[in-house]
Amino acid sequence: MNRRDFLASSAWAAGALVVSWRASGAELSVSKHPGGETPLGDFVRIAPDGSVLYHFTKHEMGQGVATAMAQVLCEELCADWERVKIEFPLVDLARYENDRYGGYGTGGSCTLIYTYDMLREAGATVRQMLIGAAARLWNTKPEECYAENHHVLHRRSSRRLSFGELAPTAAELPIPTGVKLKEERAFETIGQPKPAKLIPQIVTGTLEYGIDIRIPGMQYALIARCPVFKGKLKRYDATEALKVNGVRKVFTTQPIAGLQFVSFLPHDIREGVVVLANSFWAALKGREALEVEWDEGENARYSSEDFERIAAEHAMQRTDPTGFIGDENAVADVARVRKTLRASYVYPHQLHSCMETLNCTAHVRANECELWLGTQSAGLVVSEVARLLDLPTENVKLHMLPSGGGFGRRAYTDMAVEAAYISREAGNVPVKMMWTREDDQQCNLVHLFQHLEYEAALDEENRVYALHEKEVRTYTWAARYADPSLPRMAYDIPNLRYDFENLGAEELLQSSAWRGVDAHGRALSECFIDEIAAELKQDPLAFRLSLLKPGREVYIGGDLTLSSDRMRALLTFVAEKAGYTTSLPKGRGMGMVLCPYATSYCCAIADVTVTDGKLRINKITAAIDCGRVINPSGAQQQVVGGIVWSLTALLYGGAPVKNGRVQHSNLHENRLLRMNECPPIEAHLMESPETRPLGLGEMAAPLAVPAVLNAIYAATGKRIRKIPLPEDLRAG
Amino acid sequence: MPTIKLHVNGRTHAIQIDDPATPLLWVLRDALELTGTKYGCGIGQCGACTVHVDGVAVRSCSMPISAIGNKAVTTIEGLSRDGRHPLQLAWQTLDVPQCGYCQAGQIMHAAAFLEHNPNPSDDDITRAMSGNLCRCGTYPRIHAAIKHAIATSEPASHE
Repeated sequence: MNRRDFLASSAWAAGALVVSWRASGAELSVSKHPGGETPLGDFVRIAPDGSVLYHFTKHEMGQGVATAMAQVLCEELCADWERVKIEFPLVDLARYENDRYGGYGTGGSCTLIYTYDMLREAGATVRQMLIGAAARLWNTKPEECYAENHHVLHRRSSRRLSFGELAPTAAELPIPTGVKLKEERAFETIGQPKPAKLIPQIVTGTLEYGIDIRIPGMQYALIARCPVFKGKLKRYDATEALKVNGVRKVFTTQPIAGLQFVSFLPHDIREGVVVLANSFWAALKGREALEVEWDEGENARYSSEDFERIAAEHAMQRTDPTGFIGDENAVADVARVRKTLRASYVYPHQLHSCMETLNCTAHVRANECELWLGTQSAGLVVSEVARLLDLPTENVKLHMLPSGGGFGRRAYTDMAVEAAYISREAGNVPVKMMWTREDDQQCNLVHLFQHLEYEAALDEENRVYALHEKEVRTYTWAARYADPSLPRMAYDIPNLRYDFENLGAEELLQSSAWRGVDAHGRALSECFIDEIAAELKQDPLAFRLSLLKPGREVYIGGDLTLSSDRMRALLTFVAEKAGYTTSLPKGRGMGMVLCPYATSYCCAIADVTVTDGKLRINKITAAIDCGRVINPSGAQQQVVGGIVWSLTALLYGGAPVKNGRVQHSNLHENRLLRMNECPPIEAHLMESPETRPLGLGEMAAPLAVPAVLNAIYAATGKRIRKIPLPEDLRAG
Repeated sequence: MPTIKLHVNGRTHAIQIDDPATPLLWVLRDALELTGTKYGCGIGQCGACTVHVDGVAVRSCSMPISAIGNKAVTTIEGLSRDGRHPLQLAWQTLDVPQCGYCQAGQIMHAAAFLEHNPNPSDDDITRAMSGNLCRCGTYPRIHAAIKHAIATSEPASHE
């Protein structure tokens, strides 16, 4: 019996008629299902009124994938978009957690890359079954019928039946294989700017995020966490806390602190003391009344400046290259090199500041656990909570909800582990564990720290003979070093070298993934390219184009190559849209960045004026080549949003540490860009030679920092090599 | 435990409350289950918790329940009967939200602002909306949607 037979017959044994699309192997199975809605594949149920319910298997956190994925399915299904509804599922690892389609994991801008083919095939298969149902009812051949706008029509008569009418018959048919996909030029839904499906709920306050969940008998938990990373709890006194009306229990999280889970995303949970109460407010007041003494440990002796100095020292140390092309020591080749340039850039830690603060609701019962959570890593959440509670994974039920921003932070599992632990320790009561904004700013995971050390060598003819990039970083997932293992650029430079050092062991904060991840620091090579152009007294645009030789596929390590043609086209396009020129009045300048992120490319030109030492960003013009665009409206939002993201980092971002403690306590100190600080942003979607979606959500996030830094140089002749910008440069 | 009366979205509720300093936000969310009003910072910096109190936009995270008295509270759930306030419609037409978490606060703030200033300039809109944070960066579309709502709504349709 092959796997497909096994799935089908086991489903039969369950006694329901379900046509199931097995994402794990792109397999289908059939089973019986009593009345009501007719399931046609795991992704699709069709109600008697014809509503198509799309079963969404990724995490929606504002990046728009729920809508985009539904569009792909809708396209092949030939459904009426207005009648497609998105439902958020209970996680089923056996069915969906797999490598081929990335399972539930949502990150790395990979969702549509992984699921595009699967969704098209699923939609086309269900369409073919509905056609088959019509053929059976009309006693004709399927070839005589076709699907259009939520109906199946007969080619040679006026007969038509709606999807709702056909679904029960369709569910009884064998599942077709090798179904024909639509011709891309016939696409009607893919490529259309559809407003996001969840907006009607968002604008009426009825979309349920994790933080909105209510369970009967639910209690509220806040944790006083050690303010210094890797510090320990010395003692606590709960006497006053327990006097607060509504406070039920106080206990520690020591047993889960520092647990090392077997995880792709390693991270420490800080030690702390839980205050459990019958309301959020009582838990907050209880926590304020709690007396806690910490053993802050070694990290309390250090501040950001100490760490930055350590990173700079490592950057200057000689290391073996991670990757190189040509001669690894070309920069020091005195016979060939006329002049060398050197520069250090720093992209410091950043906070995610998701508008919905972290939270998880958990209810541990005798032999199972139920969780309500917005998470980018449903698979890891289930397996780690199962490990904590010593339960089989199928006994951990996870309701996956949309979240108010993920940005990489919700890829980590700590909130689920904390909540499940608290629910169990409190005596198996349902618990909503919340982080306040202060917790979020002061005790959180942060964007990895990057120090980039660049060196370039010019030869006698003023050609760029060699470029050497050394990166000192605090985070690498489980890998020894990072890919790409060469400078992330497509410039034709004969000798290229990249060195890497991981400073994770010495960091003062727990580093993590932050929208764009390592691309932020690596994009600063575009500032160094600008420095080389300035040294050679060349226009930065012409200089870049001269180094982007047409027709090259440039290998940058791992399995990544960059297309010099796509990058040339993008840069030329943005320069035209931005009206790029160097003939500008004194104090005004334009600066550019050309940024590859995996297989998509982004480019931006910032136009700034510096008057009396105050920066004004007149406009940012950007474009993306991300392959096929599923939803131009959502895609445009992701580019604009990415630029706003990096403007916050440029102007205000950071998590400065003094004596081990993050200095910012809330959003009045860790400022986020506001509307009055948001410059005009023009975001274009460039027509791509690629026919598949290639990733979008993180592409634009690195853009604003290098573009504006280069524009400031063009306006003032001053190089800034570290963010955030000096306070005196910021307007207002 | 003291009981207080609270007028929300046209209904009067009797609520038992431990602490009269409890902010309106938590009474709305935890006692009345009106979770459309969001927690963002707790110190009035982000605007995610914006509601109307007698038609005035306030930060419910920083307003103690004892200060409400007989005033009428309107939350996003009560902004319109059918989700068809001109701003709610404009938010859909222009595809404004990304994660959507801050948007109830944005809409409530914009609605109160337009009541007092039905014909604002571009700068007026920017000034008025700069107290509401959006981490996803939807500012350009929020601005455009407010203008769209003004252009498409009859004055009488403001409730």
